[in-house]
Amino acid sequence: MAEVVQSKVQPIEFEDAEQVIHAIHHGDVDAFVVMKGTDPQVVTLAGADEPYRVLVQRMNEGVLTVGSDGCIIFVNDRLSELTGFPTDDLIDRHVATLFGGDPPRLVPDASLEASLLRCDDSQLPVKVWTRPISIGDKSATLVTLTDLSVYRRAEQLAAAERFTRSILEQATNAIIVLAPDGSITHASLMAEDLAEQPPVGRAFSQAFPIEAYNTADTLLERFSPKELDHALATKPFHGVEIKFRSERLSNRVFLLSAGPLLDEKKLSVGSIVTLTEITERKHAEEQQATIASELNHRFKNMLSLVQSLAAQTVRSSETLENFNDAFSGRLQALASAHDLLTQTRPSGIGLSELVTNVLAPFRSRDERIKASGSQIALPADAVVLLAMALHELTTNAVKYGALSNASGHIDIAWRLVEQNGSQVELTWQESGGPTVKRRAAGFGTKLINHALRDLGAETEIRFDPQGLRCTVAFPLQRTSAP
Amino acid sequence: MMLEEGYNLRLYVAGQTPKSIAAIANLKGICDQHLAGKYKIEIVDLMANPALAQRHQIVAIPTLIRQLPEPLKRIIGDLSNTEKVLVGLDIRPN
Repeated sequence: MAEVVQSKVQPIEFEDAEQVIHAIHHGDVDAFVVMKGTDPQVVTLAGADEPYRVLVQRMNEGVLTVGSDGCIIFVNDRLSELTGFPTDDLIDRHVATLFGGDPPRLVPDASLEASLLRCDDSQLPVKVWTRPISIGDKSATLVTLTDLSVYRRAEQLAAAERFTRSILEQATNAIIVLAPDGSITHASLMAEDLAEQPPVGRAFSQAFPIEAYNTADTLLERFSPKELDHALATKPFHGVEIKFRSERLSNRVFLLSAGPLLDEKKLSVGSIVTLTEITERKHAEEQQATIASELNHRFKNMLSLVQSLAAQTVRSSETLENFNDAFSGRLQALASAHDLLTQTRPSGIGLSELVTNVLAPFRSRDERIKASGSQIALPADAVVLLAMALHELTTNAVKYGALSNASGHIDIAWRLVEQNGSQVELTWQESGGPTVKRRAAGFGTKLINHALRDLGAETEIRFDPQGLRCTVAFPLQRTSAP
Repeated sequence: MMLEEGYNLRLYVAGQTPKSIAAIANLKGICDQHLAGKYKIEIVDLMANPALAQRHQIVAIPTLIRQLPEPLKRIIGDLSNTEKVLVGLDIRPN
């Protein structure tokens, strides 16, 4: 192979040598072939324009020179990068073939936008700028192409940033974006309100000192602040109930969740942490638990009360009919009290409401019963006891007292006395009934005394000849439940 | 492409030095104007493959070789002098 090449070597003639010298003298050449050992090597003459050539090669713009026929004479490396074509494939191509759609008109010094065709048939938005130049005595055109995709991408990023910002500003939850190292890159307005210090740039644990809301939840305890920052930035968290250590936010409860923030290649570039306030929900849940516990408590009390009522009523009833009447009445009073309790309101149950309710079965004698007093809200556990006592007093009045004839009256009056805390004083005064005779205490009287004693009340029952008088004084707040 | 009566030209350049670029532009211009349809140009980049310089004993770049029609002719320089090129290629009598 070497011999074949050797045989084709054309010896340089004297005239040619003279021509070489002439060309060098006149500056018509700018490169030479020199022998390095046995291998030829090309050296170029770096003239004053060399820095510009280097500059052109290193420019971020694609540069090409176009001859008067529109064919490409020169391209820099950047144009090869932009098009994806090697330099050799671009030389001698018509400049119009570089562009998709209508090729741009190369108007001197005009700047216009066009789509540069890439080797994979995709198109790149470019800005085209042209200027006429001369190479020797030939006219040519210098063209620069600026990649607009970078600017478009920057514009898209800026728009996405504005979009994200507006979401963060309007979100009702606290949203915090973490970098992989756990530092905060974005925070919603709500998050900024919760943060102890301006959050962006700080570690999560520094801006948001948190702890588990429920001490039984040990998830957060496993992490030191630094570990928590790392965990939140790299691991998913779902609905961890937390509270803030700061006094300012100590009575508020939040749900913490965290999930990965993915880039367009689905790679994690950090995480998004949300803090959703659940103070109201927790309050409602706790209230619900309290109510459930209270109902359970009342139910058990009610059963034991009914059991006791039944046993005592049996003992004090001479006939089954007597038992039926007495037991039904007492159950009715219990049911009324229970009805009131199921309407539990934050303000409690009014004493006036209770009296009206208990006396409802005796409504035909209503005009003979007067009840008056100030607005007093009773605690739930006082309602049943007081209802039972009032029922027994009314039953006694029907059987033996003011309501046993046609002309008797009952006056019920109560008031609130501020003495050793709030106390209720209630007076039951009968008049106009048959002359009262003191009787041996039946179960009704015992029940009144028992119920009122459980209420923490001081009770006095007087069998005055003109009518029975019962005075009850009980505290509104008691230290133990019945 | 074989040209029975045409010009087979080979231009040796060194990458994209100014003289090389100028030579390419000038040669294309001259050929289009004076040898339309009767020429073939082969551009050899010695920067990419210096060994190819040996075949025609290239010393200075750019150098244009007329391979056909024979005899072989050599024109050294950026070909900016059109008259000299036309004479050198025997397109125009001296």
